[in-house]
Amino acid sequence: MHIRSSKWLTTALVFLIFSSGCKKWEDHLNITDPNITKTVFQQISENPDLSKFTQYVVSTGYDKVLNSTKNYTVFAPTNAAMAAVGVDVTGDTAKLNKFISNHLANQVYNTLNVSGTVRVKMLNGKYINMFGKTMEDANITKADILASNGVVQILDKALPYLPNIWEAVLTNTSIPAKQKAYLLSLYTNVFDATNAIQTGVNPVTGVPIYQAGTDSVATNQFWLNVHDVRNESNQYTLFVLSDAAWDAEITKLKPYFATSTVDSTTKLCSWEVVKDLAVAGVYTPSGAAADSIYSKFNTNTPIEKASIAQTIKTSNGMIYIMNKVNNLAKYKIKPFYIEAENYRYTSIDRRGNTYFRDRFNPITNKDFTDVLVTGHGVTGYNMNYQIKNVSSVKYRAYWVALNDFQTTTFSQKLGIGSAASTILPLTVVSPNIYTEVLLGEFTFTNYQSFLDLFLVANGTTQISCDYFRLEPVVP
Amino acid sequence: MKRFFIKYCLLVVLGATAFSSCKKTFDLLPQAQLDASQMYRNVYDADAAIVGLYGKFTSLAERYIVLNELRGDMLEYTDNADEYLRQISTHSVTAENPYANPRPFYELIVNCNDVLKNFNSMHDAKKMKEAEFQERYSDVLFLRSFLYLQLGIHYGSVPYVTDALATLDDVNNESKFPKLSFNVLLDSLINVSERATYKDEYASSSTLAVTVDGYPTQKWFVNKKVVLADLNLWKGNYVQAASYYRQVMETGTVGTLNGSYYSMYKVGWDSNGDIDHYITYSRAGDASTLVTNSQWRIMFELPTTTEGFRREWVWAIPFDNKFKPENPFVKLFSNIGGSYLVKPSKNATDMWDNEQQKSASAATGTPGIPYDARGQLSWKNINGQPVVMKFLYNYINNNTNLPINVLQKDSKWFLFRQTQLHMRFAEAANRVGRYRLAWGLLNSGIAGAYPAPTSDVTLYHNTLNDSYPFNFDARNSGSAGVPYYRSDWYRNIGIRSRANLVDQAVPATDSLNQIGNTLARFITCCFKKK
Repeated sequence: MHIRSSKWLTTALVFLIFSSGCKKWEDHLNITDPNITKTVFQQISENPDLSKFTQYVVSTGYDKVLNSTKNYTVFAPTNAAMAAVGVDVTGDTAKLNKFISNHLANQVYNTLNVSGTVRVKMLNGKYINMFGKTMEDANITKADILASNGVVQILDKALPYLPNIWEAVLTNTSIPAKQKAYLLSLYTNVFDATNAIQTGVNPVTGVPIYQAGTDSVATNQFWLNVHDVRNESNQYTLFVLSDAAWDAEITKLKPYFATSTVDSTTKLCSWEVVKDLAVAGVYTPSGAAADSIYSKFNTNTPIEKASIAQTIKTSNGMIYIMNKVNNLAKYKIKPFYIEAENYRYTSIDRRGNTYFRDRFNPITNKDFTDVLVTGHGVTGYNMNYQIKNVSSVKYRAYWVALNDFQTTTFSQKLGIGSAASTILPLTVVSPNIYTEVLLGEFTFTNYQSFLDLFLVANGTTQISCDYFRLEPVVP
Repeated sequence: MKRFFIKYCLLVVLGATAFSSCKKTFDLLPQAQLDASQMYRNVYDADAAIVGLYGKFTSLAERYIVLNELRGDMLEYTDNADEYLRQISTHSVTAENPYANPRPFYELIVNCNDVLKNFNSMHDAKKMKEAEFQERYSDVLFLRSFLYLQLGIHYGSVPYVTDALATLDDVNNESKFPKLSFNVLLDSLINVSERATYKDEYASSSTLAVTVDGYPTQKWFVNKKVVLADLNLWKGNYVQAASYYRQVMETGTVGTLNGSYYSMYKVGWDSNGDIDHYITYSRAGDASTLVTNSQWRIMFELPTTTEGFRREWVWAIPFDNKFKPENPFVKLFSNIGGSYLVKPSKNATDMWDNEQQKSASAATGTPGIPYDARGQLSWKNINGQPVVMKFLYNYINNNTNLPINVLQKDSKWFLFRQTQLHMRFAEAANRVGRYRLAWGLLNSGIAGAYPAPTSDVTLYHNTLNDSYPFNFDARNSGSAGVPYYRSDWYRNIGIRSRANLVDQAVPATDSLNQIGNTLARFITCCFKKK
């Protein structure tokens, strides 16, 4: 009986709710915020403090875009902020276009949902960092004004249209001449059929023939090998040296990259200087006497705050013009570390006598793999290795060679340049030595783009080696 | 008022039908489902019941691995693992954790009880021959004992239910089924299992020893003597345990003197890598030549029809895309096509890393390779993630690291291997003072433990002066010996020798603990206990 009465009560309640409260539910569900019925364009056009910005939006035709059904965020500077924008921008249609589209983004960016720094992509392809209620230097004074197709953020400063780092290098008059000239000298043409005009087909090979000059694009070695500082979506820092500093750095490196001609030495040194002057991310001086900046080649470049002559802000990072950088040659010239088991080729195939052994080093407490060739029966049997970018400097050679298979010693040699080389002598391998052994030192008078090295047997005795290492001796 | 009238009418009609012709009107049998009266009519129905039990048993595979290996710190949860797996790993289990819930074990136990009751009825009604009945009855009985042993190991005190009609909610009712301590549980289990008259595998003529979907069924079923031995080992009846293990170790010692005779369950060599499963390098001393397409790794990949599989595995149940239940191991272990919930623990990989292999030859250096190569064959890095491979070799191709067929998730649930047999025998032998024998089985075999003596040749390659089950004969006259003879255990090489590991040195003062420690390390040093 109790159950039945509660059932009746529930039914009655449901009826009551539906019959009496209908109107209130409707009110509750209806959209009552009048803002939601307006587009972002209507929102900014109805705000008298945004009238100047609105005027330019209309004159550039972006009012149609902002009335459309996609989602937008409009970063609208107030009239006071717009007053600071020069006539050079507002009077030039092309510049004005870029400037206005620099305030419009193709997504909703709500300050409440933004955590950390967000790179907001604007309609002109540039990115601007949004952090809390700031857009770079500008503050969002009135945030998150809703509209039917997005959100409006009101700014106290306009967002200037900035060139990217590469554009700034090309156009900014403060960029010192020598480094700029070198960067421009790194242009090369590479094949690219995207815009090529085909004029025929080679009857023999079947390969298309393109109209001369259309089948290649100019690219720059700096973009390819260091950082593509044209890329808007990432941020970089580029250091540009004053002409005096540039010359000083090159002079400093010349002894270590000596070649047969002055020109090629200068070219080589220029590359060595410039390749470490761009880093990913935005660097800001820490306040310490000197910051250590590591390039992607893992070279330390000390940056002294006092030496920064000028700072140029760009759309994808910073350019610092430097009066000097105290980069030391010893940071630039790298040691070589070669695992003996990773040889390129051997003088004669003796895989059947070659053992890639896994061993335990009780000094480092780590396992390692070495190579042992035993019983090969070939006088002067050798294995080849190759290293690249070898500086003109003194090197010391070391190896770890394990002799754990006999109680007597044997000897072997590291051949520099050729297997017959006598630059380094035969070196004794004593039983159970797990530490590095110095093989000797040698000096190159010229830089070499690549150098062959050989592990060479003494007569027909075995070869055993974990790794060898060339350590540059740079003051 | 109307409502009451209808009710009364209904009652009257119902009553009338009940009184009049109940049987004819309502006692129709369902057409698409089996009714209890159609079950248990003959031996084939009994077989179906047993296959049903084992089908349900395989659905416990994931839980079994998680409880044993993740809880035992041989596996570690990954970032993908849910809270419950993490709890098991960190030993901080909450009440709602499904892995810690013994209910699925009890569901199967109650099913076993029901089947046992019906087998008894069939037996009474002479629906099965005596031999058929004994075979099947003890199979179910031992499966139940195995489940209880697992429950006891993982949960300590557990309710002991042998009643077929018990509902699962009654299991929690202490007044109906009081919780037995592990020791009392062991007593009960040993008592009931010892009484079973049939303790062997199914006879080869049995209708349950057949081939289904290409899988021989013989090794799907619990090995009764192993269960008995385990129970006795836990209980501390070491000689009794060793006797049962010994009986299983001697499974192959029948018939023709051939490879199977000398090596099945004997950890013996066979000069065939697909059968004897050594750790081998095709060029000894060259670590880059570890044999992976034969030898040790292959035991996890071999089809269940092969001789190598037959000699190695005592108990293993296949998962195949052709039948249910679905393989849980791909989900658990694989980062391709699975959820990748667990990975090898540092504890496990360190144990492999800290081992030492035998030196191949003086010419290629001593000591040998400084790690246990079984590690490389048990797990590997796939797409930068460490993946436990043992259960995946029928799913991921070892050479390409890609699934053989991403939708065909085949695998095997490895429950018992010949090495486990030898380890546990060694454990029992060690506890009753047979240190040297235990050492031999673990290290370089019986012949290795009893090498050529200088004067008294009584113990040369044998322990025949000891009593059963510790009397082994591994004598081997050598190829030039006169007379020429090969004893039953001459091929036994020891578990560590098979893995190419150096023998464990034992200080004369503390044999029991030293060998015990080695055993403990070995027992755990694997994703499937060795």
